[in-house]
Amino acid sequence: MIELFKTPNINFLKYKYHAFALSGIIIICGLITYFIRGGFNYSVDFTGGILVQVSFKENISTGKVRALLADAGLGDCTIQRFGERNEYIVKVPLPERKRGELEVGTEEQNEIARKIMNVLMSAEDRKKFTEGFVNLNAISISDLKALLREKLSDEESEKVADKIVEYKNKHKGIITDFSEFEGIGIDKNIVEFLKSKTFLGSVAQTRLEAVGPRVGKELRKRASLAILWSLLAMLVYIAVRFKFQYGLSAVLTLTHDVLITLSFLLFFNREISLEVIAALLTIVGYSINDTIVIFDRVRDNLKLMKKTDLENILNTSINQTLSRTILTSLTVFFVVLILFLFGGRAINDFAFTLFVGVIEGSYSTIYQSCPYILLWEYFFGKKHYGRK
Amino acid sequence: MGKDTWKWILTLIVVIGAIYLAYPPKEKIRLGLDLRGGMHLLLEVVTDDALRMEADHVILRLQDIFKEKLVKFSRITREDPKTIMIEGVDLSQESAIKDAIEQFANEWDYSITGERIRLTLKPNVALYLKEMAVNQAIETIRGRVDELGVAEPVIQKHGADRILVQLPGVDNPERVKNIIQNTALLELKLVVKGPVESKDELLKDYNGVEPPDMEIVKSDPAKSRVQGYYLVKKVAAITGKDIRNARVGKDEFNQPVVNFTLSNQGGKIFEKVTSENIGKPLAIILDGRVISAPIIEAVIRDAGRITGRFTPQEAEDLAIVLRSGALPAGIKYLEERTIGPSLGMDSITKGLRASVISLIIVMAFMVFYYRLSGLNAVIALILNMIILLGVMSYFKATLTLPGIAGVVLTIGMAVDANVLIFERIRENLRLGKSVRASVPEGFRKAWVTILDSNLTTIVAAIFLLQFGTGPVKGFAVTLIIGIVASLFTAVFVSRMIFDFVLSSKKKVEKLSI
Repeated sequence: MIELFKTPNINFLKYKYHAFALSGIIIICGLITYFIRGGFNYSVDFTGGILVQVSFKENISTGKVRALLADAGLGDCTIQRFGERNEYIVKVPLPERKRGELEVGTEEQNEIARKIMNVLMSAEDRKKFTEGFVNLNAISISDLKALLREKLSDEESEKVADKIVEYKNKHKGIITDFSEFEGIGIDKNIVEFLKSKTFLGSVAQTRLEAVGPRVGKELRKRASLAILWSLLAMLVYIAVRFKFQYGLSAVLTLTHDVLITLSFLLFFNREISLEVIAALLTIVGYSINDTIVIFDRVRDNLKLMKKTDLENILNTSINQTLSRTILTSLTVFFVVLILFLFGGRAINDFAFTLFVGVIEGSYSTIYQSCPYILLWEYFFGKKHYGRK
Repeated sequence: MGKDTWKWILTLIVVIGAIYLAYPPKEKIRLGLDLRGGMHLLLEVVTDDALRMEADHVILRLQDIFKEKLVKFSRITREDPKTIMIEGVDLSQESAIKDAIEQFANEWDYSITGERIRLTLKPNVALYLKEMAVNQAIETIRGRVDELGVAEPVIQKHGADRILVQLPGVDNPERVKNIIQNTALLELKLVVKGPVESKDELLKDYNGVEPPDMEIVKSDPAKSRVQGYYLVKKVAAITGKDIRNARVGKDEFNQPVVNFTLSNQGGKIFEKVTSENIGKPLAIILDGRVISAPIIEAVIRDAGRITGRFTPQEAEDLAIVLRSGALPAGIKYLEERTIGPSLGMDSITKGLRASVISLIIVMAFMVFYYRLSGLNAVIALILNMIILLGVMSYFKATLTLPGIAGVVLTIGMAVDANVLIFERIRENLRLGKSVRASVPEGFRKAWVTILDSNLTTIVAAIFLLQFGTGPVKGFAVTLIIGIVASLFTAVFVSRMIFDFVLSSKKKVEKLSI
């Protein structure tokens, strides 16, 4: 049998005040960062605004993208590199508006998205466009079929169009050169035909999100409420299954978890999106898991070790469950790490939040929830506190 | 096997059932918009439009009835969507007025102060009208989406006056948005005068005042070939409601037109109107703008055509919206998310890769640390994944990108139950208890902990379900199903395997754990 620890006997609670200080410092630093940055880095979900994701044919630097957009009067937008290459996210905040007029008009968002795409186009694109060529990197499948029907039968144009679109989708929504078509078995005549009618635009739009400020505000409210309600539910559940003070300690621990994770999001300037809120709630669910396992032991041990004082019981319980705590944390840690490394840019913030939460959750179970119980008993309980 | 036979049969049924439900996963697992690409729209029905329409209707009715009964009034106006003001009434006619209101506007409360009567729409009626408007809008939008041929669309009421529309695979978002939002209020009205360049010219014959039964309508700058103002009869000869079908066609100049056929009732009215007005122009008005005003050349009973300056696409779109009927109220977009299919494909590849790597690492870790018992946990984990997919297919739950993360997380968390059990068994063994005694006791002691810890996680996930839409909901769903499945696999199935191994041998001195 492989064992991490034979029979561990570590006095964890000796360091409880150090832990309080550490957590306190992190949260205070988080608070300072919050004020320095002027708040959280909310995603479009919560602020409202427009997000356009684009994929370029050729390498282009962030600075170049920024300069292009600034020239077009879109200076106040945020530009983020997305993934490995040539992909960018452009976020445009909502224009200031009169009260009572709080919607993103569809026309307006389309206008901004179109403006962005227009600015990012290369000069050659623009020339081809005015000459009446169709952009094959921006064509809808129905239009592509219609175009191919000039040359092919209905059935064949359907087949070829599907082939082209599938290929395009596999390559970040952008085809670089007509020669690539030969590789997927498209007839030379057709490639020639496409060359005479279409061009391969230098940039393609892969995502457009537009959120009205009213929805953003509501989402923010709902996110806070979801976290508050879930904390309250935990309090009730544990108070019923254990005792009130256990519920309270658990909820304080969870609040601590949320605050620490938020602090780390602030330190690394990570974006708070819907997915990140989901990750926060998951951390709440995961950290409570850990806490309950220890509380469960404490409940058992209080019955078994009738003469031992509470601090010792807590320490023993932590030690008894230590292998499990570390093993489970390790497996979850592994999978979250894999998500963080290989899950792709789209869930990177989400994985980052979980990553922080998993590490911090194991720490808080030992160094927050148990000391809280101890403090409660010291001030209010006394029954188990120093029993001899 | 003996007394455990039913457990094996149950497990077998569950697993075969799950495989049957989920195989082949490519067809059975519904992918969310973030993975397959498509469009997510949250729109709001401007329900006040419906109230406004109702108020205007009542105003027209009251004007008619007052005239008929010789009730004096200076004017009737709509103050806001729910309030109508009648001014300059003669109090000596109070009873006649009350009668008229009670008979023709019985859905309105009224109060009389001096020469003014204030009508307010009864709150329950307002509520009903709003709800009707939203329901009708949903039906109309569904009709239009169906016309577009989108597979598996989601069109749902979302709160009191919002509609959630999800259209997988849509790659021309602007066109779709325009079709959905198009109110498509079609009216055919007789032209009194026009087109002319200014409004004043139209009103020359009427001393500059718009006659009560007529109105001025402008031409549509994009779709009309002739620009200017028209004076038309206020009452429409035909509206979109009378249209039974609409198709795209070509006129004699090979220009796209929309041919329509009328319902029985509409046809009768149209026949009467056209027969009385041969040689006069009839304005085709779409959303308050004249598209064209052809001359009535012959009596038309049930078919007509809308001409204008259309591209083939515009004509097609117009036919679609006419077929599906007018929206009862305006629509505003509150939220739009369009995800290209290339992005989704990238996410699937990466998500799958992350899942597979996690699965392998966790399995290797369990076998390394717990040996043969670890293998038991691995079997439980595989079954967990199969059941998760099966249940997701059964409930037609959508798998989103955070949903894949939920699967990965489930892989990590599902083994927690096994770890708890195995650690308890080890403790018992360390205390010198026999294998046969240690295993059941380990399961028994761990069970309470497992239940408590998993239930709290499920509680958190349920709040997530309430909070989230789309992707986040997908995450909560996979997490909940994964955890419930882990209770079955890690506790029930694992125990069964242990019992099987232990009962197959006469004497068990060592347990590979």
